[in-house]
Amino acid sequence: MDRNKWLLWGLFAWYLVLSGWTAYGPVDPEFWAIASILPSCLVVGLIAAYRWLPLSPLSYVLITVFLSLHTIGVHYTYAQVPLGAWVDQVLHLGRNHFDRLVHFSFGFLLAYPMEEAFRLLAHARGWVLYYLPVMTVLGLSGLWEIIESWVASAVHPELGVTYLGSQGDIWDAQKDMAVALYGATLCMTLLAIVRMWRGARPPLHPEGVAAE
Amino acid sequence: MGDGTTGGKEARQETRRLVQGLLLWYGVLWIWLAIEPVNRRDWFLENLLAVSGVVLLVLTYRRFQFSRLSYCLIALFLTLHAIGAHYTYAEVPFGYWLKDSLSLSRNPFDRMVHFAYGGLLAYPFRELLMRVARVQGTWSYYFSVSAILAQSGLFEVIEAIVAVLVSPELGNLYLGTQGDEWDAQKDMAAALAGALLAMSVTFATSRLPNVRTTDISR
Repeated sequence: MDRNKWLLWGLFAWYLVLSGWTAYGPVDPEFWAIASILPSCLVVGLIAAYRWLPLSPLSYVLITVFLSLHTIGVHYTYAQVPLGAWVDQVLHLGRNHFDRLVHFSFGFLLAYPMEEAFRLLAHARGWVLYYLPVMTVLGLSGLWEIIESWVASAVHPELGVTYLGSQGDIWDAQKDMAVALYGATLCMTLLAIVRMWRGARPPLHPEGVAAE
Repeated sequence: MGDGTTGGKEARQETRRLVQGLLLWYGVLWIWLAIEPVNRRDWFLENLLAVSGVVLLVLTYRRFQFSRLSYCLIALFLTLHAIGAHYTYAEVPFGYWLKDSLSLSRNPFDRMVHFAYGGLLAYPFRELLMRVARVQGTWSYYFSVSAILAQSGLFEVIEAIVAVLVSPELGNLYLGTQGDEWDAQKDMAAALAGALLAMSVTFATSRLPNVRTTDISR
């Protein structure tokens, strides 16, 4: 239990340092501010919920990896992330794929924490347990695209779709949702296989919280 | 209670008669609208999912029966969709009339049906989740809204794939974007709004005293 606490403090410290570092001189301060609202809410929410919903260390690691990727992307407004630009040059992809990678990560990295929350809080069982996270990832991706479109029409109506880092692709929203769906499906498939292989049953109550 | 699901023989029979009536209505309407659709290929594409859905509902009827209210909601949605498919959505006369009388820039019928998708199908979906997946309480409302949003997103993705595969010209017709770059987002938002409304109404009525709510959680 103590080791877990240290891990959590470590993850939190890492995220704070990374956020502080990338908050310094972002490429587009306005975009940085808007795109940082939701992650901050998520972190505050996770900390506030810790007492009655302590997720597993693995979940916190996955969430931190995702938030780190997002923080880096936001610093460079996604379309200009050096890693993505480098991959674009080497593989001649025609666009910076870092944002697509983070959309995929949203599904792949966050499906497991969601599964855990639904298992422990909503008492979901059976195949539904694997279906609900996939569905939630797809739903939230859709919601994200909706919010993006509102922000874009509110902040820069003249720029339209280009503001969204669609990089000139009319199907950008659909592709983003599709890769998140692939990520979540892959994660849940792997999880189901691992559990079948091990024959292990996942815990049904949060660690340290007594079963009723 | 008494929704033909856990109820007695009489309630079961009543549900059966209702479902037969709704099927007859949909069948007659469907054939009538299939005779001369505005665009045959678009009509075919639009009907793929709807007809599969009806076949699935008929095949699973013995194993899983929705409540009578749910069947009515589903039938109403399918009716709207059948009308939209006949006119490729963009050319529904009622939509034109709305456009003229409210001086809108586009035919709003497809957006209305996206809204109806959330508004009419969130309730049946909640029933399915509660009875098959044993989802309970607040979660049942949340998951129903989330599921509608997810299905709308999936639908937009499928639409995009179909549009790219099929000729771009028909693709645009099938998509019914009517030249709006935010069309996909607005369609999803409409479905979300519909689902939120339906779940609010469901929640409110379940709190009212003397309302026979569908106690489907057991």
